[in-house]
Amino acid sequence: MNEPTVFIVDDDQAVARSLRWLIESVQLKVEVFPSAQAFLDGYFAAKLGCLVLDVRMPGMSGIELQERLTAQRIRVPIIFITGHGDVQVAVRAVQAGAFDFIEKPFNDQDLLDRIQRAIAFDAERRERDAKFARLSALFASLTPREREVLDLVVAGMSNKAVANTLGLSAKTVEVHRAKVMEKLQARSVADLVKMSMQKQVLP
Amino acid sequence: MSAGNDFIWLALVVLGGLLAAALIGLGVALLRLREAEEKILERESGHGSILDRLQENEFRLRTIIESEPECVKLQAEDGTVLEINPAGLRLVDANQPADIIGRKIYSVVAPEYIEIYRENMRRVFAGEAVVYEFRAITLKNRIAWMETHAAPLRDARGNIYALLGITRDITEHKLAEEQARRHQTELARVARLSTMGEMATGIAHELNQPLSAIANFARGCIRRLRSDRMTVEELIEPLEEVCEQAERAGEILRHVRDFVRKSELQTRPMDINQIVRAVVKFTEHEARHQRTMVRLQLDPKLPRVIVDSIMIEQVICNLVRNAVEAIAEANSARREITIHTRLFDDHAVEVEIGDTGPGLSEAVIDQVFDQFFTTKRDGVGMGLSISRSIIESHGGDVRAESGGTGATFRFTLPTSDRQAKKHERADSIHS
Repeated sequence: MNEPTVFIVDDDQAVARSLRWLIESVQLKVEVFPSAQAFLDGYFAAKLGCLVLDVRMPGMSGIELQERLTAQRIRVPIIFITGHGDVQVAVRAVQAGAFDFIEKPFNDQDLLDRIQRAIAFDAERRERDAKFARLSALFASLTPREREVLDLVVAGMSNKAVANTLGLSAKTVEVHRAKVMEKLQARSVADLVKMSMQKQVLP
Repeated sequence: MSAGNDFIWLALVVLGGLLAAALIGLGVALLRLREAEEKILERESGHGSILDRLQENEFRLRTIIESEPECVKLQAEDGTVLEINPAGLRLVDANQPADIIGRKIYSVVAPEYIEIYRENMRRVFAGEAVVYEFRAITLKNRIAWMETHAAPLRDARGNIYALLGITRDITEHKLAEEQARRHQTELARVARLSTMGEMATGIAHELNQPLSAIANFARGCIRRLRSDRMTVEELIEPLEEVCEQAERAGEILRHVRDFVRKSELQTRPMDINQIVRAVVKFTEHEARHQRTMVRLQLDPKLPRVIVDSIMIEQVICNLVRNAVEAIAEANSARREITIHTRLFDDHAVEVEIGDTGPGLSEAVIDQVFDQFFTTKRDGVGMGLSISRSIIESHGGDVRAESGGTGATFRFTLPTSDRQAKKHERADSIHS
């Protein structure tokens, strides 16, 4: 299993070290980056985790890093740490898709709770992504004809109605349908319906 | 008060001066003519045509003085008004010449100005031309501010026998001046307040950093200790971090104290690089806010400078803040401020602050150090003028330049070397 990692990007080294010390106290793995650029250069997107990010940094700001990550379709959940009077900036960041923000000085439990929620969110997203990838692969193995049969079956048609609609014999429809069930590893029509819906719903 | 108004007043004063000079000249000419006329009458009564010409001239001059819009008057040494033109009568609210002619001028001078007036009279009768201001209380008890240009009148033998004065009402000017002064005081106060507000924000942010680090280290320890995952030895390192951050917070407060402490110029040999670093620490918040990088290129081998470090901190702070604002206002793509320190010559060190802002135009460069000159939307134009006076009071000078990339400000500060030499010289003179 991919062990969750908390990524910290903060130009203030003392603050970064203290965050590491605090977060490691709940046995989470921590990686510290001294700048937004260092994070872009060193981050490995396959890692489960979340990003704790200072809004204001010289060079690339936290907000700019968020924009860059969004553009690169890197969806690591971001918790912004804001200083004095930065709350509006943070609110805009959340509107732009950041997971959460916390204002300095913060309660340690608040931060750790947010980190846990962000990691859980990331894990869920990754699971959803994996499921979608799996479903996509299964659906991709269907022939165009099988796809047509599946769509009509899922729409609630009987074999006979499908046969009429597609101008096939009932026997042929029966064969296609069995093939679809086998390829999608479905045990029932209900399974097929469920899988089709997931395929549509998932991102 | 705008520079335009200042200019208009300056122009008025100059015009007034010129006018006064012209009128004094005219008056002198008039009296000389009269003397000449008398002499002619005495000695050469036969020359009627010359006399006619002179009378004609006197008449012409008298007409000019009578129609002169400013008050023109002649006074005797004891202050008795000898002659006064219609404009003068209006100025003192007299209905007819008899109301004031033959009376002492002091009857219309405010009591607290009588002595000043007398002193100026003495100077004129000693042969000087003077300009003086006084408060007048007119014959109708109206209070007005007056300005008089006065010159001595001499007879043929060169003896001073009267004062010729041109006086005008400057009440409006005085009020405007007063208003301008009050406005200026107000501006200075607002500028101070806004600087204080900015500083408060900066300090709050600065202190937040070590304070949150301290809290994180301490909380991390508590969590480990509670779950028995920490030995006593392992406590040492985070506790050292806590101490370090507490000291950092203390350092910030010490700087604040130094920064706001009001004092006379108290010069001491100082490390200029240390001063630069202190200021950068202070302005870091603003720079960060504007995503601007402050680079330091400090020559480590510089001699000490003889400065009041708080004053120099203010100057650098001002220049850095201006640079940050210029970059922000222009929304420059490259956002960098570079501070250099280097040896300027045997007696001075140079500090250079360059930015990647829009730079300064030729027209602006000559004015940036002027009071109330500003290119900022809500600036008051005091910062650079104060900076220059601080640098100059240290015996250095400050220049503004603008090249391809942004604006550059350079100033020099004397090093201990020169100061030491000065002392040596002073010592040798004494011994």
